[in-house]
Amino acid sequence: MILKVERLTVKLGSSEILKDLTMEAKKGDFIALLGPNGSGKSTLLRTIFGIIKPLKGVVFFDGREEEKGYLPQETADTNLRVIDVVLLGRTPYMGRIKNPKERDFKIAMKAMKSVGIEELAQRRFSELSGGEKQKVLLARLFAQEPKILLLDEPTAHLDISAQLEIMGIIKELSADRIAIVALHDINLALSFANRILMIKDGKIAYAGNPREVITEESIREVYGVEVSVKRHGQIYVIPKIRSIKNGRRVHVICGGGSGKELIHLLNTWGFSISAGVLNALDSDWEVVSEIGGEIVDAPPFSQISEEAHMRNLEAIKNSDAVVLADLSIGRGNLRNLIAAKFAAEFGKLIVVDKTPFERRNFVGEEAEKLYSEIVRGAIVVKSEEDVLNALRKLLSR
Amino acid sequence: MVKNLYYSFDRLDFVKIAIFITLNLAVALLSLAVGSSHYGFGELLQVINGTADETVLAIVVDYRLPRLILAMVVGAALSASGCALQALFRNPLAEPYILGIASGASMGAIISVVFGFGVFERILLAFSTSLLTAYLVFLIGNMKKFRDQSYGILLAGIAIASFLSGLNSLLLYLHSQSLHQVIFWLMGSFSNPLWEEVYFSLPLLIIGLSFLLATSWNLNALLLGDEHAKAVGINVERYRTELIIFTSLLTSTAVAVGGVIGFVGIIIPHTVRLLIGEEHRQLLPATILLSTAFMPFVDIFARISTSGEIPVGAITAMLGGPFFLYLLMRRGL
Repeated sequence: MILKVERLTVKLGSSEILKDLTMEAKKGDFIALLGPNGSGKSTLLRTIFGIIKPLKGVVFFDGREEEKGYLPQETADTNLRVIDVVLLGRTPYMGRIKNPKERDFKIAMKAMKSVGIEELAQRRFSELSGGEKQKVLLARLFAQEPKILLLDEPTAHLDISAQLEIMGIIKELSADRIAIVALHDINLALSFANRILMIKDGKIAYAGNPREVITEESIREVYGVEVSVKRHGQIYVIPKIRSIKNGRRVHVICGGGSGKELIHLLNTWGFSISAGVLNALDSDWEVVSEIGGEIVDAPPFSQISEEAHMRNLEAIKNSDAVVLADLSIGRGNLRNLIAAKFAAEFGKLIVVDKTPFERRNFVGEEAEKLYSEIVRGAIVVKSEEDVLNALRKLLSR
Repeated sequence: MVKNLYYSFDRLDFVKIAIFITLNLAVALLSLAVGSSHYGFGELLQVINGTADETVLAIVVDYRLPRLILAMVVGAALSASGCALQALFRNPLAEPYILGIASGASMGAIISVVFGFGVFERILLAFSTSLLTAYLVFLIGNMKKFRDQSYGILLAGIAIASFLSGLNSLLLYLHSQSLHQVIFWLMGSFSNPLWEEVYFSLPLLIIGLSFLLATSWNLNALLLGDEHAKAVGINVERYRTELIIFTSLLTSTAVAVGGVIGFVGIIIPHTVRLLIGEEHRQLLPATILLSTAFMPFVDIFARISTSGEIPVGAITAMLGGPFFLYLLMRRGL
């Protein structure tokens, strides 16, 4: 079983929607079609299905026309009963006067069973939830016994649990078929697809397996947005949130997740953020890189070097305020406390003191002494939320 | 198992058909036995066993029988068209006159009255002008400028109907001597039934209904939306055109022989929807069977409630208004 799309050019009205597009799919392919609105995803699906006639190029499929199944994005609403809607999937197999036979009922029932809605058969379609409606439409599609599935944003308008459920059903039932699914959600595509096609301006911009195709560069080029692409076993994409900056710069001394919440808050409050010294791949390090902050970093699991410490002091000098997070202190990051003391001497330190210091101190007396000196020269707050007030106080001096 | 559970829902079941047929027979018998003359069931019996005299025959066979058939034809044509158009436009308030047919037919009728044409010329003229109007609405509504064909047709229908009713008012104003005759026709009536009207309308009704019944499955698909209908392999553009042709034919036929009878195309399909649901292979035949009982039944009122005749259209409009409100409130629009 193979689908070939060769040099497809499609014009709708006066504009060229698809331009010389070529692609191929074979049995077992679960292809996610990604691309911004108006890039030509729907048009490609409709052209493969045969609703739109291409200006140039061919769609070749080594099966019968009725074995192409298409689920449009358009939301449907009707008072028809579920069984009547599912039976519509049998239409391509009916004669001139269309009337379902017993065989059609059996196939429709089987399709409803496969998506888990057989008990809804007699319910009115209009009374169902969004996820249930989508399952009915999927049953309609599978009642057609298609070899190739063309799905146009099957999870649009659904909540997250319904999205996962619907994609799971599609994945399961498409194992011995070809599935081409237009999606908006890149992470959903990454969780389910084994191939990705990224379309931009009617052309295929990137094609291949998800790991190769989904990069910060490809997403920037196709969607024009900044994201971080994470590869921790599973690959996933996180948008970089751009908030309106207030022109003030805050340096955060943190590590081991102690700065996570604080950094997000500072970011939403509009501060430019730097942080350090952080070991690369530390969870705080990830948060800062997500929001595009500056990082003074050290290699993973290593002590803070003299060189990193100096850069940290430099960053402190360049910022309007410094926040010492509720971090644990060991031999490796003791220099962060020295950096905090340096900030306290400049009178621009805020200390988040949530957990009693003796419980976070793994160094001993030396750190204890250092900390008490720091606290004396700083504004001390008990939680991350209080940092904003402290910052106001500090910055208005 | 599958069969037991669902196969019985496939077609209208026997009980429902039996109820509809009994209802039709009862109304038909009543319709033949009731009228402004004093002939009743006794005379009807005479007709059936062949002992009736000529006057009785004239009243029952040449007056009441064609009247009954015409009422059934008009009811079936209007309600079936209404039912199909409601699916086509996915609008519960669509009615057969949505394509400007009422004002088109009225123009034909007014012209024929103004020029003093006979009954047959009036029927043919009203039939032609209404078909022509529908065609014009379809042409305008189908222009590429309208992205959505359904909307295009609805809007063109409103515009042309409005233009034509203005023109009709002007014609009536200039020829006010024919006002009474025209207005009575406009309100719809079966008061001068002719067998020729039956011969003219019955074949057209059969053609139109056959098409709708044969393609009722497609109407189900249209309910889901154009794109979904295409997805199950229906040529939506072509089917829409065919539907408009056949519903125009049915409605023009009904208007030509019965005048403008409003609301039947809405009341009957909706009542049946409430009773048996929206599946068109059941809905459409049930709608037709209910309308062939309803229309003659209303006509009985029209002929006996006063010494003269009340226009049938006035009664259906009076029934239709409150029903309309009921529908609106039920749907919570």
